[in-house]
Amino acid sequence: MKKVEKVKRAKHKKRAAWIFSLPALFFVIVFGWYPLVLGFRVSLEEYHFITPPTYIGLANFREIFSDPLVPITFRNTFYYTALSIGLTFIIPIIISILLMEMKKNTIRIMMLLWFIPMASMAGNIIWKWFYNSYYGLFNTILVYLGFPTLRWLDDPRIAMLCLVLPGLIMFGPGLMYIASLQSVPNEFYEAAELEGARLGQKIWHITLPRLRPIISMLLLLAIIGNMQIFERPYVMTGGGPGMATTTVVMYFYQLSFQSLIFGKGASLAIILFCVILALIIIQRKYFKENIDV
Amino acid sequence: MPLISQVGRNHFKVRFLLGAITTLLWIGVSLHLFPVWWTFSTSITPYKEIYKIPPALFPRGATLACYKLIFTMFSGSVTITQPFWVYIKNSGIMTGAIMAIQIPVTALAAYALSKLHDPKWSRLLFLVLVGIALVPYQVSMIPLYFLLRDFPFATGYVPKIPFTPIPFPHYNFINTYWAVILPGGYAAFNLLLFKGFFDGIPDELINAARIDGASEIGIFRRIIIPLSKPVFAVVAYMTFSSSWNQFLWPLIVLKKEKLMPIAVGLYRFQEEVNELANVIVPSDEGLLKRMAQGYSWNGVMAMSLIQSIPVFIMFIIFREQLMKGIKLRGFK
Repeated sequence: MKKVEKVKRAKHKKRAAWIFSLPALFFVIVFGWYPLVLGFRVSLEEYHFITPPTYIGLANFREIFSDPLVPITFRNTFYYTALSIGLTFIIPIIISILLMEMKKNTIRIMMLLWFIPMASMAGNIIWKWFYNSYYGLFNTILVYLGFPTLRWLDDPRIAMLCLVLPGLIMFGPGLMYIASLQSVPNEFYEAAELEGARLGQKIWHITLPRLRPIISMLLLLAIIGNMQIFERPYVMTGGGPGMATTTVVMYFYQLSFQSLIFGKGASLAIILFCVILALIIIQRKYFKENIDV
Repeated sequence: MPLISQVGRNHFKVRFLLGAITTLLWIGVSLHLFPVWWTFSTSITPYKEIYKIPPALFPRGATLACYKLIFTMFSGSVTITQPFWVYIKNSGIMTGAIMAIQIPVTALAAYALSKLHDPKWSRLLFLVLVGIALVPYQVSMIPLYFLLRDFPFATGYVPKIPFTPIPFPHYNFINTYWAVILPGGYAAFNLLLFKGFFDGIPDELINAARIDGASEIGIFRRIIIPLSKPVFAVVAYMTFSSSWNQFLWPLIVLKKEKLMPIAVGLYRFQEEVNELANVIVPSDEGLLKRMAQGYSWNGVMAMSLIQSIPVFIMFIIFREQLMKGIKLRGFK
């Protein structure tokens, strides 16, 4: 009797397992893998409008490699990623570590104020207005202080820097650092205290190793996200001045959905994928998640 | 307050350090809030004050005229032909539908992977479900567009039924809300979050409920969901903000003004105002009239704030739960 019951239960469990995972499998296969696999095929084809596409082998890739705009967009994207991670990645970590030193109630209020998010389009537009050469906030301040005005987003030399700067004071992932900082046991710090560790040593030897997994994870996501940047340059500069801020995904969008050269667009996307994959592998190799304390 | 020990807090040097940190943090907060305040102050400034050269640092006068844009239509605009509540409604519908589909679908799959499947199947399905996240979405973007245009064919053309000139039946989702909702039906990153959390729930709890005769769905509803409120909050917040902020995909698949989400509407509005701002002719009566309606940067600022408000609210609602729930396990 008991055995029968057990077998029945195992069967129930198995059935439930499949029923529960089917909807997700449906979505991931139909709207994920199916287009993904075809994406690789599109890159080998040339598209006409009414008749089926024709297979042209690697001609699209050859075209991409001989396109003088592609190296420029890749350079811009790397530049953006490097600037953005270099300038803005560390700040939330420092802020979170410092925030934890405050009193409980102060932490609550400050957390709200520091990490309050803004809708991304709104943020882009607001900053675009700040940078406006005629009526923008920054030039207004410069004029009042008696400095010469700058052309901000219209100046090819500093346009990219201007795109990255909002990240200095508007950021999201701080909450994640705070959440994992809370899990650091107090005893660690007390022990370090007894051994006479100084403030810097405590941060370096206790706090940072504990944050390592989350830093590694967010660094990975930041690399992936920044390499695919589209919205901010598209809204704030439209890729200009000239080609100074045109990123790979912007060029991809232009090729595929404005010029409708699908094959070439798809091959550019695949090259971007390879580049991102290489970056992920490098990051995984040199920045392991494990805590080695 | 772990870094600076409790004992030495009265020492002058320590007090000085703490004071310095506090000041620094408050300065940072004010820098951080300044854009929000400036946006608000711009949004209530009369348009005449905005287009002054040199602009005033402390403009005079206040008006809520721009916020009327939510309900009223512009006259004479080519790109913006709907009042803003239409865009807000569209964003609301799409975000709501994505949340209603994605969260249960992802949570159930994560639970099945974590607690129900055999280890062998679990590993295989995990690869299928999460592996998709490793490839940037641009690669599948073009076929996905085709797929939604002639569902279920994603090759860019619809094959003909053999021996006839009639194409196979297909359905066009482009220019419907579904074109945005369907690709958002499942999210690999959220599956990772859910699975990481469910893995931490002890199996004994579930087995005990099973012995008591609870059904599998009953166990999920009565035991798992109450235990995992924090992770549901995190996922709900992330799904909300990512679908509310979606821009590129709606820009591609929604070409009808009536269906556009607020991010796209705002972008088009801002483009048009920006062009206008460069060619201001103060004597143009019609232009001035339109600007008084909010057809200027203060109108753009007002609508930007409106777009941000739901994100603020969700952040405040979920803040406490977010703190408890964020435990990223990484791609392991």
